[in-house]
Amino acid sequence: MSAEPPAGADRPRRPLFQKYFLALFIAVVVPLLASGAIEAWFGYRDERTNISQRLRTEANAAAGKIQAFLDDIRDQLEWTVQLPWSEGSDERHRYDVLRLLRQVPAIVDVVLVDGKDIERLHASRTDPDIVNSGTDHADDPAYLGARAAGVWYGPVTLHKGSEPYMTIAVAGSRESAGVTIAVINLKLIWDVISAIHVGTAGDAFALDREGHLVAHPDISLMLRGEDDAAVAALRRLQQASLAAGDEAVAGADAGHRTVLAAMARVAGPDWMAFVEQPTVEALAPLRRALWRTAILVLLGALFAAALAWLLARRMTGPIRLLEEGAALIGAGRFDQPIHIATGDELERLAARFNQMAGELALSQERSERIARLKRFLSPQVAELVEQAGQDEALAGHRAEVVVLFCDLRGFTAFSAAAAPEKIMSVLGDYYEALGAIIVRYEATLTSFSGDGLMLLLNAPMRCPDNPAERAVRMAVDMQQAVQALIVGWRRRGYQVGFGVGLARGEATVGRIGYEGRLDYTAIGSVTNLASRLCAAAEDRQILIDEAAAASVSGTIALESLGTRRLKGFDEAVPVFTVGKTIITGEIDSRVGT
Amino acid sequence: MMRIGRSIFSAAAMVAACWLAQGEATAQDAPKVYRVGLLTSGPPGVGLLGPELVRDFVRRGYVPDKTIAFEPRAAQGKIDLLPALVEELVASHVDVIITVSYPAAIAAKEHAGGIPIVVTLSGDPVATHLVDSLARPGGTITGVSEIATELSAKRLQLLKEAVPGVHSVAVLWNADDLGMTLRYRAAEEEAAKLGMVIVPLGVHAPDDFDTAFTEMTKTPPDAILMVTDVLTNLNRKRVIDFAAAHHLPSIFEYDSLAHDGGLMAYGPNMSDIMDRAAGLADRILHGAKPADLPLELPTRFQYAVNLKTAKALGITISESAQLRADDVIE
Repeated sequence: MSAEPPAGADRPRRPLFQKYFLALFIAVVVPLLASGAIEAWFGYRDERTNISQRLRTEANAAAGKIQAFLDDIRDQLEWTVQLPWSEGSDERHRYDVLRLLRQVPAIVDVVLVDGKDIERLHASRTDPDIVNSGTDHADDPAYLGARAAGVWYGPVTLHKGSEPYMTIAVAGSRESAGVTIAVINLKLIWDVISAIHVGTAGDAFALDREGHLVAHPDISLMLRGEDDAAVAALRRLQQASLAAGDEAVAGADAGHRTVLAAMARVAGPDWMAFVEQPTVEALAPLRRALWRTAILVLLGALFAAALAWLLARRMTGPIRLLEEGAALIGAGRFDQPIHIATGDELERLAARFNQMAGELALSQERSERIARLKRFLSPQVAELVEQAGQDEALAGHRAEVVVLFCDLRGFTAFSAAAAPEKIMSVLGDYYEALGAIIVRYEATLTSFSGDGLMLLLNAPMRCPDNPAERAVRMAVDMQQAVQALIVGWRRRGYQVGFGVGLARGEATVGRIGYEGRLDYTAIGSVTNLASRLCAAAEDRQILIDEAAAASVSGTIALESLGTRRLKGFDEAVPVFTVGKTIITGEIDSRVGT
Repeated sequence: MMRIGRSIFSAAAMVAACWLAQGEATAQDAPKVYRVGLLTSGPPGVGLLGPELVRDFVRRGYVPDKTIAFEPRAAQGKIDLLPALVEELVASHVDVIITVSYPAAIAAKEHAGGIPIVVTLSGDPVATHLVDSLARPGGTITGVSEIATELSAKRLQLLKEAVPGVHSVAVLWNADDLGMTLRYRAAEEEAAKLGMVIVPLGVHAPDDFDTAFTEMTKTPPDAILMVTDVLTNLNRKRVIDFAAAHHLPSIFEYDSLAHDGGLMAYGPNMSDIMDRAAGLADRILHGAKPADLPLELPTRFQYAVNLKTAKALGITISESAQLRADDVIE
């Protein structure tokens, strides 16, 4: 199979291959893309929900840990408010405080206030302890807060403008046990907060309600005091989280990372614990899913392309074969069948093509034959002969025929003197006039030479009516037509006439000649007779033999000319003729019109 | 519709951010050997220049000689050498200098050019104008600040609590160092409140210790408080030996001196300070600017009591002092 288009075939403006390829490709890829996009979208939403839930859980855990850190301090402080203040209990209270300072490194300062609002002991890590300073704490919000709620968490303050401190006050269950007020260095939450990890790069931090950073894995951030840009970023996350409710929020963290953050409240001091995870990491599963989808879409597209190519190829391949086949048929080569075995409509079409080629071949053969037959048969007879089967019709056999000869009188003398173009002009008019009549009467032209013609009736096809009558009428028409011409010729000085002879009888008819040049003819004495009668006929005369005359008696008026001796015939032959009046009258009437 | 549109947009932005960030993550720095200069006005091989600091770096993932190299320089008390030592560190292209003591810090500040400095044991850096403030140091210096001044009073109180009979306390300090003198004064003030008497024994040079010892032999105090700087620290052994010989209770600033034979010590936890110094140096090696790293105050304090010494001195340490002590050496 050749992929080249047949010579001379233009490239199609929009090739079928392209169309099929596009259609098939789009049919597969568009749904794929659509499903991929939908999957990505829902995947993203699910993943966001998952991340939100996961981060919220982590945030709750972080809040829990911070709460536990504070609760532990509170629990330790509670030990110092078990014992009521009474005579001689000072030393035991002091021991409680010393133990507390050793147990809880985060405590910087502790103040014990007795049940009567009076400060009994102030112990510090950095300053000398003060015993019984006598300071009245009745108006101290820490004291009052602890008295009211049992535990009081103070605001975050910055020690030396840097280190975040917070006061926690705890009241004993009995008023006489007093209140313990402790200052906590929040830097020590670092141990807790730095141990919280979310994924590989995520961490936790905490802000108080005013947005002070109270816990962060990066201690330096906690020490930067007020108005720090990095802490401001965390405050923005806080604002966003407060606005978003349960949802994780996206934003920049202190290290300018893009993170997803979730918040949980630390109930005691009313802080907010946050966990943050870089968006890159948090969305890693989503990214993997997107990659998967993208690869699937790509594979689908490739598959679609391959499929489209194959199908389009399957369509256009046979179509090209058909195209080539059609071109061959156009070129007249019917012997090259198209081979398509696709089992589909195309195969059927190819079969039709082949069938058509066969029929065309037959038809061409037939028309060639008809063309051949038409050389000596009238078109109608040729058709009939063709339909009847050439061999049968043209085979040699004996048949009852009417043979007619005609020629011009004085033509030899004329042709010897006249210029060739004049001769050809005369012959052209002559044959044109006779040809139309011969065709009309469906006579078989067996031969002509110069101005002479031999016609045959009732062979090879039988006449439906009387062949003799038909021959006579045709001869009359011929005479009339040629006489009309002769009037013109004579005017130009050409001295010619026209005679006709016809006879009826048995003859052997059939094709004679050799391959490539075959003639149909009739052989027998009837042919000789007709030829002799023609030779004997004068201008304007139609000579008819006895047999033919007998056949037309009663239909056409003939007059007998008696018998004549003719060359090649031992006895005198009775000869008849069509009355000259008929011919002339006809001519006259024709001339008159 | 708007919400969905915005969500799609933010989703797209996030995905884009993911891919971008991934690209960044792949461009990793080539392994580099960081050089850390260690500068002290004191002796080499101890304290911050000892093996503990190296361990702090190892704990942060550094491998000595592979990813980190140390350049220790010790003036051994000769403060005039410090500028030259700083020049040496500059010449060896250190990435950060960790200093011990105020003289070392000031020498580094003046001679290290733009090399980041992490200061330790240099008093109050804000008061001495090493930095603008604790929260925003502003220059090339960060580090661990000290709250040593007020601790002198606390030590005096602890001394009285541990050995209630103490009345007169001899205070040994480097009288040439303003920071140390401030510490002495804090003790003096507190003594008045506690009804105690201070015997000031300021020293200027190692030889002055003999004078101080002679003084104390002449009129024996009830106890000794030694303010620790390079000068006194280099002569600690003599002070501890003298206290032992004369059955004098003594209190020092760092627990190592209690371990060396002193009776008591109270001060910031040295390991903690070293660890924080290493932490800050680590941040600087990873690209942080000292100006952005607030100075840190000591968080943990160590109260060490050496009961062996107490026994040798024939002294009973009070119950409350033993209860308060974080580190009881028996």
